[in-house]
Amino acid sequence: MGGKFDPVTLEILWRRLISIVDEADTTVARTAFSSLLRDAHDYTCMFTDRKGRELAQGTFATPGQSGAMALGIKRMVENLTPEGFGPGDVFITNDPWALAGHLNDVCVMSPIYHRGRHVGFTACVFHHADIGGRVSSDNHDVFEDGLFIPLVKLYDGGVMNEALMEMIRWNVRTPEEVIGDIRSQIAANHVCSEKIRQMLDDYGMEGLDELADEIIGRTERSMRTSIQEVPDGIYRAQGIIEQMEGKDDLVIRVAVEVRGDSITVDLEGSSDQVDWGGNVVYNFTYAYVFMAMKSMFDPDIPNNDGCAAPIAMKAPEGSVVNCKFPAAVAARMQIGHFITEIIYRAMAEALPGRVIAGSGGTPATMNVMYGRRHDGTPFHSVRIRGGGMGAGRDRDGEYCYIFPANGANTPVEIFESDTPLIVEKRELITDSGGPGRMKGGLGRRVVIRIPDDDSAPIPPIHLGIQAGRYRYPPEGLFGGGPGAGARFLVNGRPGNPYGLTLLKPGDEVVMDAAGGGGYGDPMERDPEAVQRDVREGYVSLEAARADYGVVLDPETLALDSEETARLRASAKGG
Amino acid sequence: MPAERRYRLGCDIGGTFTDFVLLDDETGQVRIHKCLTTPKDPSDAVEQGIRELGKAVAGAAAGMDEVIHGTTLVINAIIERKGAKTGLITTRGFRDVLELGREIRYAPYDIFAEFPEPLVPRRLRLEVDERIRSDGKVLRPLDEAQARNTVRRLIAEGVESIAVCLINSFENPDHELALQRIIREEAPGLSVSISYEVLPQIREYERTSTTVTNAYVKPLTGRYLERLSDRLRSLGFGGRLFIMLSSGGITSVETAATFPVRIIESGPTAAVISGQYYGRHFQIPDMFCFDMGGTTAKSCLIQGGEAGVVPTFEVGRVQRFMKGSGLTIQVPVVDLMEIGAGGGSIARVSKMGTLQVGPQSAGASPGPICYGLGGTEPCVTDADLLLGYLDENYFLGGEMKLDRKAAEHGILERIARPLGVEFMDAVWGIHDLINETMAAAAKTHIAERGGNPKVVTVAAFGGAGPVHAYGLARKLGAPRLLVPPNAGVGSALGFFTAPRAFDLVRSHKKSLAAADMEEVENIFRELEAQGAAALRKAGAVDGLLFERSVDMRFVGQGSETHVPLPPGPLTGMAKEEVRDLFDAIYENLYGRTYPDSPVEFINFKVRATLPHKLLKLPRLKASGGRVRDAEKGVRQAYSGAARDFVPHRVYDRYGLFPGAAFEGPAIVEERESTVVVGEGAEVRVDEYGFLWIDMGDAPGAENSARAEKGGADGRQV
Repeated sequence: MGGKFDPVTLEILWRRLISIVDEADTTVARTAFSSLLRDAHDYTCMFTDRKGRELAQGTFATPGQSGAMALGIKRMVENLTPEGFGPGDVFITNDPWALAGHLNDVCVMSPIYHRGRHVGFTACVFHHADIGGRVSSDNHDVFEDGLFIPLVKLYDGGVMNEALMEMIRWNVRTPEEVIGDIRSQIAANHVCSEKIRQMLDDYGMEGLDELADEIIGRTERSMRTSIQEVPDGIYRAQGIIEQMEGKDDLVIRVAVEVRGDSITVDLEGSSDQVDWGGNVVYNFTYAYVFMAMKSMFDPDIPNNDGCAAPIAMKAPEGSVVNCKFPAAVAARMQIGHFITEIIYRAMAEALPGRVIAGSGGTPATMNVMYGRRHDGTPFHSVRIRGGGMGAGRDRDGEYCYIFPANGANTPVEIFESDTPLIVEKRELITDSGGPGRMKGGLGRRVVIRIPDDDSAPIPPIHLGIQAGRYRYPPEGLFGGGPGAGARFLVNGRPGNPYGLTLLKPGDEVVMDAAGGGGYGDPMERDPEAVQRDVREGYVSLEAARADYGVVLDPETLALDSEETARLRASAKGG
Repeated sequence: MPAERRYRLGCDIGGTFTDFVLLDDETGQVRIHKCLTTPKDPSDAVEQGIRELGKAVAGAAAGMDEVIHGTTLVINAIIERKGAKTGLITTRGFRDVLELGREIRYAPYDIFAEFPEPLVPRRLRLEVDERIRSDGKVLRPLDEAQARNTVRRLIAEGVESIAVCLINSFENPDHELALQRIIREEAPGLSVSISYEVLPQIREYERTSTTVTNAYVKPLTGRYLERLSDRLRSLGFGGRLFIMLSSGGITSVETAATFPVRIIESGPTAAVISGQYYGRHFQIPDMFCFDMGGTTAKSCLIQGGEAGVVPTFEVGRVQRFMKGSGLTIQVPVVDLMEIGAGGGSIARVSKMGTLQVGPQSAGASPGPICYGLGGTEPCVTDADLLLGYLDENYFLGGEMKLDRKAAEHGILERIARPLGVEFMDAVWGIHDLINETMAAAAKTHIAERGGNPKVVTVAAFGGAGPVHAYGLARKLGAPRLLVPPNAGVGSALGFFTAPRAFDLVRSHKKSLAAADMEEVENIFRELEAQGAAALRKAGAVDGLLFERSVDMRFVGQGSETHVPLPPGPLTGMAKEEVRDLFDAIYENLYGRTYPDSPVEFINFKVRATLPHKLLKLPRLKASGGRVRDAEKGVRQAYSGAARDFVPHRVYDRYGLFPGAAFEGPAIVEERESTVVVGEGAEVRVDEYGFLWIDMGDAPGAENSARAEKGGADGRQV
């Protein structure tokens, strides 16, 4: 061990760096206007050394954004010339190819100076609720998606570019909110820079480079040590992702090559980019590759450039996982979220204890419902939801989360007070968890009814869905069965989840989120665990027998051990 | 009060000790007592302690006018899952609300993160046919026959307590009240909690979870409080018993037994209440109350003598200190920050090859190595001992001898050698790193509340608080440190300054434009009537005060802003005035506001209070002596600035007198704690025996010395 920092001082400085970025995060929570930022925490703050290598990011960052951003900022910094920036400069961009894959993610980046010397960069990406454009997943190109801001200076030597601000103001629907949130981004960067300067003063340091080498180096070694435990080889898997009616399924192929302590993920053979918004830029694909790797190898250590250093990715240009400008990208999560589980599947043989089966919250479900109330006033509601998590080797899947992304649901009582609609059910679906030695997480049913009494809204009521898993349910691992697929019913009949659905008073829609896949042979599940599941209503009596070979007394639910053993033996024999 | 009842007793049941503070209202003198907590029946320790106090103070029990009681009984019952077998009744279609929660993953990169089991298993969550709409109108009337059958099914399952939470019941409680009646008819005496009474507030998961938690702890809290009352009576106590609420107020036994979920954080709030009192008494605008014990540090920002109260609390986190990994309940709780940093925090080598301290704790048993109780892992207290801050012969006033050799060996073998650093660097590193951890959390906590760490007065409480406060204050850049007498028992006087207060809330969503101010006024009047009833149970006759406030938001926004209202009926207030209040607060919180965007009411809130009895701080006797007489000697203790041992003058706190003043480096010892004062700081003792420590300028860049030393001499570590 060498270096300028002993392990004690190093840990103290490291904590300081994370606390600095968390303070910047707090500034956002206090100054941002839109609730997407304040409440759903859909933003990421980070800072880098002089070379753009990420040193620390906010503790509660969202995986898609933060992973893409670490990579994106590094690239952007590498492309800057030394004369290209100076004190008082603030850059702005929402280039999906440079950053997090859609126009709504706007990045503000500033160089940090200490005693006149350039020491690093601070940046934050906010998911702005509005960026103009045609808000729809069936856009044909990025021009329809909204306002595109290339990497330009918002402040030059401390002087604001008024023209640019006006440009933005006149291209969005809610200018107060968008401009206000951009100001909040500038404030967050400012806080970050100030605190870093203070730390450098406190410790008599000239810059961040040596500290960065040490922190990134140690993190990278830790990650590499973990990777080294995996036997060399190429691990492959593919995922089939459904598209809307009448379009071919998409294929994503991954080949994970482990060589020593390095990994290269190759997505060669994946489908071409599509003519709607499901296209994923390189960075966003990388973010979910990284999500898989980080969760498998080193979930606890704080994120920095060192975590990503051992992981390279190749993706064919023009494919759906590395789309070319000017593809439409607004619905990127519908495809991008799948990358993580496909990697898990590839690595399952090598790392059976560190992966989970397919999850019903992949991709995240988003519903938009809007229309007019009986008195003509408009209503509009956006909700996100997950499904059952996939099971792992030692754990049943949890019930209902968005995975690998993250987010919170909207309470029924808030939804009903914001709209004239009635939620009839929000409940777990019995038998929807994929059977396995470890059971997949249950999916969830939501039933919404359009009232037809004196408070009936004026037809039509619009329902737009971004989701998946209608045709291909989440798969199990090692003999575990799939979870139940997603369903979309309008008045009891299958609807088209990929189009806009128009509803009228009296209609009732059922939206079932998929359950997670099971893990291992269900015939090996502890019969008492099955008995417990039946008692609690997670598994039906019939499924206990059919899927798990467990026989229970229909009245008392007492376990019939003999009959169970017989049934399981014959299942094995057959 | 009868003339002979001159005493008040504060009694706080903690994890290890039950603390007693007996206040003589005539002289202002306090007497402190401690005995071991008796987990099986905590009232054993209460009785024992009062008997022991009675030996020292004749007639103490019969002479007590008030007993104010704080307890961790409720929170422990939840953490240890020792509450009642509870059933839940919900609207058809919603029995899984409790289990689905808000569906957010608290650790985004950890796919095996655990979530807490709901307190009521699914088979005991039953549904009834009924439905209230969001405006309170009945969509489907309650099917009473089906409801009765449902109640019978739960009773047949053998539940001891039932929670009822129906969708939109905060707008119309009729169906919940009908269920309450049916349950009482079917099983008289069975514990019932309905959400309209526990928390009539919008958001079904939070309301259900809170109601269920209340139901879960209600039977055991009721039994305990009954037993405690009986025991106090048998000791001759004829005064009034109050229970500490998590919000910092105190309430009657009846109210605590009905809403036990409100006393969940009843223990830890006492130091904060003391802090509030000192903040007001000494007129300290910004105070950071810092209470560091064996396992955790609990801190709180107190501005203008008021600690914040937040509406949400998380209990029983399955991943310690991870926000989001616990059960959410919505009750008013003092805005405490709790982190895993205490004297028992364990130091280890991380897998990154750096030093790690906490959040794991060796607790009181086996405890730090130096306790000699079988602990093998080095803890913060071991480092504090080796740094010379603690005296091995005067720990807990000399009751416990500390084992220096064992601590040395432990840190050398487990930390210094594996890390490859000098022994003293490892020892100092443990102390300094835990300070850094606390400072980082404190900065965020203070910033989130709009405060500035550079202006706060740090008030130190708890056994380890005064040992670490100097280092913490330095890292915060705080100018001043305050160490009250008996800081080691933390809450001491706090008990007597707690107001009798009760918070009430009701949700009713209405845009400001469409609101009928008569109707709003009526909601407030109803809440105030409920508050008055609760306070009457706590002995109120008159002098009731009501503070009204509303939670408002921009229409469609995800969260609310709390807006206190001026006294007086709302009917006399123009809507523009309400709007101006909202805008002013919003702008102050978030930097700007949007006067053209419409706003709406979500919650209406009332805090009902009785002015509390005044407390005279006991004055310290002026001795006219010399500071030198309080000196116990000089001890070599470690200086972070000098990176070496330097002589520290050691003072006996009990020998100090008003007006005494001295400079750091110094150490002040008292029975339950030790105050460390580093270089550059000046100490002054005030008329009440409080130590006021002026931090002065940071001594010659404390940290840069370190970096230079590490760098300039190129020392390989």
